[in-house]
Amino acid sequence: MVIYDIEHLTKRYLNQPTLANDDLCLQIRQGEIFGLLGDNGAGKSTLVKQLVNLVHPTSGKICFMGQPLDTNPLRVPLMVGYMPQDGLAFNSLTLGEALYFTAHLRGLSRHDATRERERLLTLWHIEKYRDRTPTQMSGGQRRLMQMAVTMAGAPPILILDEPTNDLAPERRKELWDILRQQHRDQGTTIIFITHDAIEAEKIIQRVGIMQNGKLLVVGKPSDLKAQVMHQWRLELVFAPENPPTLPPHITPIMLDSGRWLLFLPREEATALLNHLDPHTLQDFRLYSATLEDLYLHYVTPPA
Amino acid sequence: MLLPPRNPPSFLAQLIDLTLMQLSNFRWSWRRMAITGMLVPTANIVMLGLFNRDSGIDTLSYILVGNIVISLMFESMGKVSSNFAFMRWVGTFNYFATLPIQRYMLVIATLLAFALLALPALIFIIFFGAWFLAVPLHANPLVFLIIPLTMIPLSSLGAWLGTLAMTPDESNAMTLVVTFFLLCLGPVLLPPDRIPDILHWVGRLSPATYAASALRQTLIGPITPQLGWDIAMLTFFAISMTWLVSKRMEWRNN
Repeated sequence: MVIYDIEHLTKRYLNQPTLANDDLCLQIRQGEIFGLLGDNGAGKSTLVKQLVNLVHPTSGKICFMGQPLDTNPLRVPLMVGYMPQDGLAFNSLTLGEALYFTAHLRGLSRHDATRERERLLTLWHIEKYRDRTPTQMSGGQRRLMQMAVTMAGAPPILILDEPTNDLAPERRKELWDILRQQHRDQGTTIIFITHDAIEAEKIIQRVGIMQNGKLLVVGKPSDLKAQVMHQWRLELVFAPENPPTLPPHITPIMLDSGRWLLFLPREEATALLNHLDPHTLQDFRLYSATLEDLYLHYVTPPA
Repeated sequence: MLLPPRNPPSFLAQLIDLTLMQLSNFRWSWRRMAITGMLVPTANIVMLGLFNRDSGIDTLSYILVGNIVISLMFESMGKVSSNFAFMRWVGTFNYFATLPIQRYMLVIATLLAFALLALPALIFIIFFGAWFLAVPLHANPLVFLIIPLTMIPLSSLGAWLGTLAMTPDESNAMTLVVTFFLLCLGPVLLPPDRIPDILHWVGRLSPATYAASALRQTLIGPITPQLGWDIAMLTFFAISMTWLVSKRMEWRNN
C-alpha cells in the first residue's frame, strides 16, 4: 500500500528567489524505512512539513493513503507521529505529562495512556527525567523526549526530522535500535531526515538524496551503489618509514602520514591484499562504498 | 495490510486534556501573577486610595474596579499574549497541529486555563481593594457570569497580539502599550466626569470599558439597564476576538 504519493510537488516561500521544493515526485510505501539525505537548505524539512500538512504546497499534490492530504484534516494527525527539529515545543509540560496527553489525544484510553507513558519512559531509559520540562533538560535529553513523545500512542507512521541531532554516540545507536525494533514488531513506516549517512545506513531501506530543492535520486542504497560505485575502498595503515610496495599502475591517495586509500575493482583488491607483505602493514580495512560515498557522489559537483 | 482506522478524541476529552496541558503554564506564570497580577494593582490601590481618601465612595469604587481590570489585563491578556507568542516562537503550535485536535478547542482551552490561573490574583485584589478602600461589596450572582465574560475578550485580545508578534519580547511590549491605552480610553480607572469627552467616546470601542462597567454594577451595585449593553458588547468582543485568533494562528493547511 502506498502511504504517500507525491506528484510534482513545488514549494516557494514568500519573498524567496529560489524554490524550496522543485517538482518532487516520490512514493513511500507502507512498512518502509525511507531516509532523506541532503545538505542544509536542500528542502528536506520543507518536504516533511508538507507531508504532515503544516506547510501548504505552491503546486503539485500529495495523496495520503489514497486521498488528497487536505480532504480530512484529522487523518494525518491520527496516523502520523511527527518529530520536528525544535526541542522546546512542549512548552511547560514535563516529559511524563507530554507522553500521557499525547498518547491520550492519539486515541488511547486514560488507563492505556498511563501504561504507554511508563512503557516509553522505560524503553528510552528516561525515567529519571519524567518530571522535567524541556528547559530543564540538555539538548540530547530533549531529543529523547521528542522521540518518545512522537512514538506515544504507537502511530503507524513516523516522520522524524534529524532525530540523532545532539545525541551522544551510544544514544544514537540506541535510537536506531529502537526504530529498527519498532519497524520489525509493529511494521511502522519510518521516514526520516538525517545528515548522518553512515549511521543511517544501518537502518535505511530506501533513500532519497536532495539538493537545491530537487530530488536527485531515489532508490535502495545497494542498487544505487551498484549503479555508480563499482570499486571497493582499501585503506592501508603502515609505518611511514616503511611503506608497502604497490603495483606500478595503482596510485594511492594519501590520507595521512602512514595511511593510504586505494579505490580498486573487487577482484584486484583481494589480489593486492594477498600480494602485500603483511609485515609492512599495521592495519588494513576493505569495504564497499558507503551511503556517505553515495551521497557525496551525487551532491559533489564534478571537479 | 490495511492500517486499522483510528478515532479522534471526543470534544470533551480534547477540552479537558488541552486545558490541563495549558494549565502547566503555572510553572512560569505564578511569578508573574505575584508581581503584575497582585503587586502592581495592590500598589495602585494603596497609592490612589491614600491620595483620594476624601473623594467619596464613587471615586474609590472606580479605583477598586479599575485595578481589578488592571489585574485581569495583566493576568489574562498579558499572559495569554506571552503564551501565544512563545508557542509560535518555539513551535508549540506545530506540535498541537500534528495531534488529532481542533484548532478552536486549543483556543478555548487556552482561554479557560489562563482564566483559572488569573483567579487567585483577581480574588485577592477584590477583597484587599474593598477592605483597604472601605468600599462595601454588594455582589450580585451575575458576577459569576461577568467575570468570565470580561476575561474572554481580554484573553482573546492577548492571544491575537501574541500571534501578531514576531518574538515573545515584542509581544510583551505590544501588550503593555495596549494595556496602557485600554486603561486610558474610557472610564475604567477614573470616573466619567474626570476624563475628556473624546476619551469617553473612544472608550466605547474598548472591551475594558464594558468590563469595568459590568464589574462595578455586579460587585458594588446598583445594577442598571447599562449592564445588558455591557454583556452584549462583551459577548460581541469575546466571539469576534476568539474567531480572529482562530483564523490568525498557525495551524494545519485545511
